[in-house]
Amino acid sequence: MVMSTENNTISVKDLTIKYAEKEAIISVNLDIQESGVTAFIGPSGCGKSTLLRAFNRMNDEIPTCSMIGEIEWRGKNLLSDEIDPVLLRRAVSMVFQKPNVFPTSIYENVAFGLRIQGIKHKSKLDEIIEESLRDAFLWDEVKERLEDDAYSLSGGQQQRLCIARALATKPSILLMDEPTSALDPIATAKIEELIQALREKVTVVIVTHSMSQAARISDQTVFLYMGELIEAGETKKIFSEPEKELTGQYITGRFG
Amino acid sequence: MIESGTFLDGRAPRNRFTHSALFSAASLSVIASALIIYTLASGTIRFFEYEEATFFEFISGTDWVPNGRNPSFGIWPLLSGTALIAVGSLMISIPLGVAAALHLGEFASPRSRRFLKPIVEVLSGIPSVVHGFFALLVISPFMQRTIDATYFNAASAIIVVAAMILPIIVSISDDAIRAVPREIKEAALGLGATRWEMATKVVLPSARSGIVAAVLLALARAVGETMAVTMAAGSVAALHFDPRLEVQTLTAYIAQVATGDIPPGPATDAGFAVGSALFVLTYSVNILAVGATRKRLGANRGKMASLLFQIKVKLSMILERISGDIEYNLTQSNPFIPTKYDLFRRRKEKVSRFIVASSLFVGLAFLLILLQTILETGLAGIDLQFLTNFPSYRADQAGIGPTIWGSLWLITLTMLFALPAGVGAAVYLTELAPEGVLNQFLRRTLQNLAAVPSIIFGLVGLYVFSRMFGFGLSLLTGSLTLAMMVLPMIVVTTEEALLAVPKSFRDAALGVGATRWQAVRHHVLPNAVPGIATGAILSVARALGETAPILFVASLFSKTAPTGIMDGFLALPIQIFFWTRHPKEAFHDLAASTILVLLMLLLILNFIAIFIRNRAEARRSW
Repeated sequence: MVMSTENNTISVKDLTIKYAEKEAIISVNLDIQESGVTAFIGPSGCGKSTLLRAFNRMNDEIPTCSMIGEIEWRGKNLLSDEIDPVLLRRAVSMVFQKPNVFPTSIYENVAFGLRIQGIKHKSKLDEIIEESLRDAFLWDEVKERLEDDAYSLSGGQQQRLCIARALATKPSILLMDEPTSALDPIATAKIEELIQALREKVTVVIVTHSMSQAARISDQTVFLYMGELIEAGETKKIFSEPEKELTGQYITGRFG
Repeated sequence: MIESGTFLDGRAPRNRFTHSALFSAASLSVIASALIIYTLASGTIRFFEYEEATFFEFISGTDWVPNGRNPSFGIWPLLSGTALIAVGSLMISIPLGVAAALHLGEFASPRSRRFLKPIVEVLSGIPSVVHGFFALLVISPFMQRTIDATYFNAASAIIVVAAMILPIIVSISDDAIRAVPREIKEAALGLGATRWEMATKVVLPSARSGIVAAVLLALARAVGETMAVTMAAGSVAALHFDPRLEVQTLTAYIAQVATGDIPPGPATDAGFAVGSALFVLTYSVNILAVGATRKRLGANRGKMASLLFQIKVKLSMILERISGDIEYNLTQSNPFIPTKYDLFRRRKEKVSRFIVASSLFVGLAFLLILLQTILETGLAGIDLQFLTNFPSYRADQAGIGPTIWGSLWLITLTMLFALPAGVGAAVYLTELAPEGVLNQFLRRTLQNLAAVPSIIFGLVGLYVFSRMFGFGLSLLTGSLTLAMMVLPMIVVTTEEALLAVPKSFRDAALGVGATRWQAVRHHVLPNAVPGIATGAILSVARALGETAPILFVASLFSKTAPTGIMDGFLALPIQIFFWTRHPKEAFHDLAASTILVLLMLLLILNFIAIFIRNRAEARRSW
């Protein structure tokens, strides 16, 4: 774990997150490199999704949730009151566990993030939407039927649509909360391939339930257990020679 | 001692008896519907047998003059009156109701929701005759001063009808809004939408079929509303759309027949023809509403949607050409510095949310003014003499003694008929025959019965129970009529209570060899009692406040309380109606006092219902 606070890192400092009185994340310190793919792993209920949702302040939307500590990025504390989550979420976009397309057309799904920013020009929208759909490996499958209902797509396609939708606002960081947990193996493989391609454009932070997925796609791995950070570092190193016993037990499948 | 081979005997005979008893209960809704159709059809045929009435004139004529030497029965003035009231009240209640639902569902904190939701519930519990009192004696004078309206005018009726249908729009839209999956709301927020943008661009479109259903049900209710409209809008059938003037609706004409202002002959039988028109109208709207509820997310797309899409594309291309190309730099925008447009979005968010929140306070203000007026005019008149004397023609001696007794008799008898029938029907529909074509048919019938305007039940009471069965203008007629009306409500609340009992209870009983009925009798029903009781009490409240169905059969004057079910009777809402329309002002105060007594009774009933529900929830171990 590199303990530096240069410009190209996201630094989590002494972060504690509570739901009402229950602590879901307990004084976590963590630096995430702003490049490549970082995976959060750990057993169910370890707080990995909660931690992920701190980066774009999605936790603000849960009334009982409170966050203490700092997340420093580009010289600002993302958790401070002066940060407007609405603006932040453009730069730190999110893809969720279940494909959650809007009940409208494929085109309008991708256009959503752009329209709310006041972009109304058809040619500009067309351009960005095509680019985003290409980036999400979906363009060729949907270019003939952009006005179709998004629900007409398969589950895997819907999830790629959600990724395209998130990419449309040109985020710097893409948060992915178990994006393949609701998909079959083939659709999962396609998304994993997509994540590999995305690393050039955007920093990916992904929560995954599958250790093999973390091993396949991530550069850095963070292991959480019962709300605490147990170990973080290069994926190769974590999976070959973990420092902590608990990490070793988890990745070898002793629990979780 | 169990003999071997018992299991080969098939169903026990006792079970077969209960089974058919419950089936009969479930079929009562079909009988009730048949009685309604029979009453309306035979009355309508009778009407068209008169020389003065022709079918063509009825559906195309623009003059409604039921009395006099040359009567004329063209229904359009009544239709225009109905349309004016219905459309006018929807124009007020749709924006207010959807805004209120949006506030409750998306913006209000759980704490303020707990405070705001009861406003809607209280508003929905106010009987329509009370709204009529308020419209005629408070809103109408205001309208006369401000917009130069006549004493009876459509505007006052529009306002109270809007208040009556507001709860329907709020609660059904609120359900639809809360049913929108959390996932797609999070998707919107995760893409940087403000809560307002999320609510309007994602939640409302997703909930649209529910909101459409809410509006249609509200429309059906507005069309079927009788008392407030009769009391405030007047009885002059005229083809115009001026809210400052008097209009007569379909329902108000039937009420006029009921109150005996119409001579026997074609004019009275015209009430049945008008009833048929009203029935067809509300039935159609209700069918549309049911259709809208069934429509799933994303359905109804296809050719139309694609056409709209093409039009949208064309429009935006034209817009683009007009406005010129504004350069927009999207390459990794700064997440910390808002653009000009972002500042505009923040302002929009604040202003819109404030407006939406204030919609509920319009409802609250209405409620407070109504209650304050009634307290002010009615409280002073309540004393022992008022509560025990008979409704004398001398205002200073008048009381509501026999009236209270009449109402108590009425609701007791109503429940005696409706409760076993309703609970039996619900048990049959949910527990014993939960599937199949017959079940669907019975359910559909119940749904339709629930949507029949209350004044139509009045026609059935008069024609079938009173005349055909010869029960006359008695408690029996009144309570049978009301029982028909509350039956669907009891079935629905009982079904909810039964379905809330976990399936595992039934499985456990069936698993040790109980019959379905035994499982229900010993394991489901006992656990559903609090839910059934709550529903029953709310039905009592409904029956207590209803005026229109008993308008034909209740007495307007009696010195004594009824002593048996064949006696005539007075009832609180009828008394309120009668005194509100009295020319002398002293009687208006008496009406207000009677309203206070009625509201107190309703309040007590509701408290009992809440108490039972809360206690059951606290005690429940599953």
